[in-house]
Amino acid sequence: MNKYFRELTVAIALALLLLSLAIFAPHFFQAQPIISRLTSQMPALVAAVGIALVIISRQIDISIGAQFSMCAIVAGVTASAGFPLGMAILAALVTGALMGAVNGVLVAYLGLPSIVVTLATMVTWQEALRLWQQGRLLALPNGIQWFGLSQQVGQMVVISVALTLVVGAAWAMKNLSGGRQIYATGTDAEAARLAGIDPKRTTFRVFVLMGLLTGLAAVLNLVQSPQVQPNCGDGLDLKTIAAVVVGGVAISGGRGTMWGVLLGMLLLANVNPALTHFHQPPYWEKAIQGLVILLAAVADGLRSRKTKF
Amino acid sequence: MPSSRSISLKLLLARHEVVLVLVILVEVVLFQLLGRNFLVGRNVSNVFRHSVEIGLLAVAMTPVILTGGIDLSVGSMMGLCAVLFGMMVNRLGMDPWFASLAVVGIGALGGGFNAVLITRLNLPPLIVTLGTFSLFRGLAEALTRGAESYSGFPPSFLALGNSDFAGIPAQVWIFIGVAVGIWLLVHRTTLGRSFRAIGFAPEGARYAGIPVARNTSIAYMIAGAVAGIAAVILVARLGEARANAGIGYELLAITAVVLGGVSIFGGSGTLAGTLLGWVALAILNNGLTRISDYRILEQPVASVARELSGLLTGLLLLTALSLGALTKTLAVRRARKQSLSDTSPNLVKS
Amino acid sequence: MRITKQPMGSQTLLQLSDIRKSFGAVRALKGVSFELNAGEVHALLGENGAGKSTLIKTITGAHHPDGGSLRVAGIEISNLTPSRARELGIACIYQQPALFPDLTVSENIGLRLKKSGLISRVRWTAQREQTVALLHQIGAEISPDAVVRTLSMPEQQLVEIACALGSGARIVVMDEPTASLTQKEQQLLFKVVCDLRKKGVGVIYISHRLEEIFALADRVTVLRDGESVGTYAVDSLTESAMIKLMVGREVSSIYPPSEGALGETVLQLRGLGCAASGISGVNLEVRAGEIVGMAGLVGAGRTELARILFGITPADSGEMILNGEKLQIRSPREAIARGIAYVPEDRRRHGVILEMPIAQNMTMASHPRFFPNGWLRFAAELQLAENFIRDLGIKAFSPDAPGGSLSGGNQQKVSVARWLATQPKLLILDEPTQGVDVGAKSEIHKIIRGLAREGLAVLMISSDLPEVLGMSDRVAVMRNGKLVDILEKQNADAHSVMSAALGTNRNEVPS
Repeated sequence: MNKYFRELTVAIALALLLLSLAIFAPHFFQAQPIISRLTSQMPALVAAVGIALVIISRQIDISIGAQFSMCAIVAGVTASAGFPLGMAILAALVTGALMGAVNGVLVAYLGLPSIVVTLATMVTWQEALRLWQQGRLLALPNGIQWFGLSQQVGQMVVISVALTLVVGAAWAMKNLSGGRQIYATGTDAEAARLAGIDPKRTTFRVFVLMGLLTGLAAVLNLVQSPQVQPNCGDGLDLKTIAAVVVGGVAISGGRGTMWGVLLGMLLLANVNPALTHFHQPPYWEKAIQGLVILLAAVADGLRSRKTKF
Repeated sequence: MPSSRSISLKLLLARHEVVLVLVILVEVVLFQLLGRNFLVGRNVSNVFRHSVEIGLLAVAMTPVILTGGIDLSVGSMMGLCAVLFGMMVNRLGMDPWFASLAVVGIGALGGGFNAVLITRLNLPPLIVTLGTFSLFRGLAEALTRGAESYSGFPPSFLALGNSDFAGIPAQVWIFIGVAVGIWLLVHRTTLGRSFRAIGFAPEGARYAGIPVARNTSIAYMIAGAVAGIAAVILVARLGEARANAGIGYELLAITAVVLGGVSIFGGSGTLAGTLLGWVALAILNNGLTRISDYRILEQPVASVARELSGLLTGLLLLTALSLGALTKTLAVRRARKQSLSDTSPNLVKS
Repeated sequence: MRITKQPMGSQTLLQLSDIRKSFGAVRALKGVSFELNAGEVHALLGENGAGKSTLIKTITGAHHPDGGSLRVAGIEISNLTPSRARELGIACIYQQPALFPDLTVSENIGLRLKKSGLISRVRWTAQREQTVALLHQIGAEISPDAVVRTLSMPEQQLVEIACALGSGARIVVMDEPTASLTQKEQQLLFKVVCDLRKKGVGVIYISHRLEEIFALADRVTVLRDGESVGTYAVDSLTESAMIKLMVGREVSSIYPPSEGALGETVLQLRGLGCAASGISGVNLEVRAGEIVGMAGLVGAGRTELARILFGITPADSGEMILNGEKLQIRSPREAIARGIAYVPEDRRRHGVILEMPIAQNMTMASHPRFFPNGWLRFAAELQLAENFIRDLGIKAFSPDAPGGSLSGGNQQKVSVARWLATQPKLLILDEPTQGVDVGAKSEIHKIIRGLAREGLAVLMISSDLPEVLGMSDRVAVMRNGKLVDILEKQNADAHSVMSAALGTNRNEVPS
């Protein structure tokens, strides 16, 4: 089962982590805190699915954090203006899709490198947002938090939506030819073209799709508290890219699964909580994250070196 | 005047730098008209004093980007170097100048670490430096337990960041030294030329006998070392060494470089371009803080200067990139018509 | 016996009339006509550069012909594209399978065979069943769930064949399909080809292995220099006759003559080999003032040998002796320092850097020697460039002009200049005049002969047989990674060289 080797290694790592927690810090496994923690990790998971698609198509998007914040604020402002929840959700999705489209046009049709394009759009959205909101917290009207349901139910809704999305994405990547097109474009755009796929169109669509998913993620985050922070997306780019790389998505494109994304995200997101329960100070988090990214990259590098020649 | 500068590329290059100079002039005129105390000695001095660190990173990033790579970890390296510097001086009682040298060396080692992963294991620079971006910052945070900072440095050291020498801020002198050094390296040495060759044609450079791995490593080590210098200067200026030193600086540095016309794909670009890009950004940053008579979104411009300058920077970058892409397609079409044959070696066989 | 009439009752699947194709100044196809009937295996024969691959690419829609017409089942087709070709039932199996390495066999086949909409469902089980059926049909023992990356090259080829079968192709092109197959796999392939023929499919079969052509093909069309020399029933030809058709042109005597006086031995190879490159047991000597031509088919290992000598893929067995000194060259830098220069075959990737100025390209390989302490010297560089431009007759606007502004022939001269600037003792040229127009070709030949006269030892790899015969003092022939024959000038003719390259010559010179 060479194909899923990478995902298995992450699963094993996660299992080991949980095992050590079970042995040395069993108080980790309490139902409510776990559910709360999981709920708070779901938005990043959804965003990670989006960025995984971008990376599989051999691009990158570091503006994801800025997009997330912008979508959240737009949704919040829409809700505060009196519009119903549905409209706020729609606003978030549309905003995300539009921002994704901007990236998509520049990268796919103008042929600009995605690292620089998304750097530019990231700065633009981020600062535009700061200018607009001035760092103010935006209070949400009643009925928005937890979709107007109780916290218990609301948490369940968030978790189900996110997990359904992951499962759906996994299914779509495997079964819809759209998914095939993404893999093909990411592996070898020229071969894809000869196979009848339009790499430019595929790339554009991937960025728009990512924007949509980011909007969704922002909504899932929005409903978890009574106010919106304008910098809620800070650090999301690193978090999601790290999670997908760890989960087996290759930076060189063409490879990766949604299961890997799920596992990678669960692993990395629980480093901090695990540290807390091991009574280890939390400030090791970034160092561990960086190390994990490097290890994953090295593993991928060694693996593809073997089969290249 | 170096004679080995190509003719048809000259027009393109000259155009980019000329455009930047124009942009700078426009900025200066605008800010002088709209703002207060802009073209005053003190303010001009501040423009440069406050952006030396980013300028250093931009200048050091240029060789790396010329080789077709990228280094996202320089800002985090600044943080790590700042923290280590603070520890050496405060905890170990080292002489600050000696500690500075040590920290620059550590920066070079960090760059070397990046280089090993990139050249020996052939990992993509983007992902390697993303990992070290997190790792270096994480180490800095871990060492300071997420909270501590170091201060209480001797005044002679703080003078580096806050006083003038012959009318020019002390750190600017250092910046000039580094910038001149790297300019010489990029434009006057075989090493610098090899950076371009590696950027344009990494395999072709190898076939021409250029030690690709070694030279690429040198580029990354320089970036790390200069990050160390930038860290020392920042600490001297603020009087404080903390783990969050340099957050976001790498992106600003890359912005300056790309704005300056250095191609992210590698090979083409000049250090002068990087410097102009940096100056344009530094002036933008500073100039907006001088405008208090006008308002935007019901606020005096000066109080939202940072956000506004960030926004304008982003837009400027997007415009520059789009224009660059359009001129590139036009130039490629022109060159294709000029070139008489377009044979790929593999097509005509059997 | 030439065939001019097609057998009764057999349908013409493909008809090419007077196809012309040029790349810049080079005419790859000069008016080729070709026909394929249903239920026949039609071989395409010709040496390197004859135009076979260009013709194939015209058939599969990868190239647009400049002139002539293409008819599929009697209907004229213009503006053929790869997808259109696939729809018309044309499938091609290249030497390099174009599969997606990270997908499984059945996913790849599914991707190829399905029309791609965005949301259209990929039917999993149906796809898998189809894959199993196809693989079974060709007798390949490959699991449909195997990830393509893990398959060997021959297995990947079989998957490609399964794809072709599955797409219901009526016209199947096979480009050197047995190049890397084992005996058993070859038999499999032959059976598959025979099955295709029985089904009424037309197969265009390209191979250098004459015994295969005799075994499989009904007719053979021989290409030479971009033209068709004729279409024949395979039964009517002997091996000898085939070879003669392939190479039978006059060896042009317009090559600069050799001077005769040879110096000492510059290069000596004893049993040199590199397992990773597939090269073994090479024995060779090259003397100063001598031009040794290296002939052989594509893939015979000539470029691989050059890369060993130049340090790109260092040798792991045998000895290399340069000017009497036993050496181990481990990098191009070392090779250059020792006086070995290599003008590479893949000009786009390894040759002149198009974005950089001519003068800088010329000094690119000589940095340690020309700029001793690392500082660039622009005036000296300019002088060097001007000298070379004058001496080699390079047509350039100025030494500062970018490499990309030159024609192919002039770019090649700049490449030669770069290597001459390293002051080499041994010059290895890999296809020096490929893709170069006739005028520049002869100039480059004069330059090469002049260099030999000045005492350089020259190793010239070339697939252009007249060039090899005209320029070389001796001809070394490689086949399958071994140096199989070294012919003196008087013994070297088209026939003897080609025979050695193809392996039909039973009297191989043991080294």
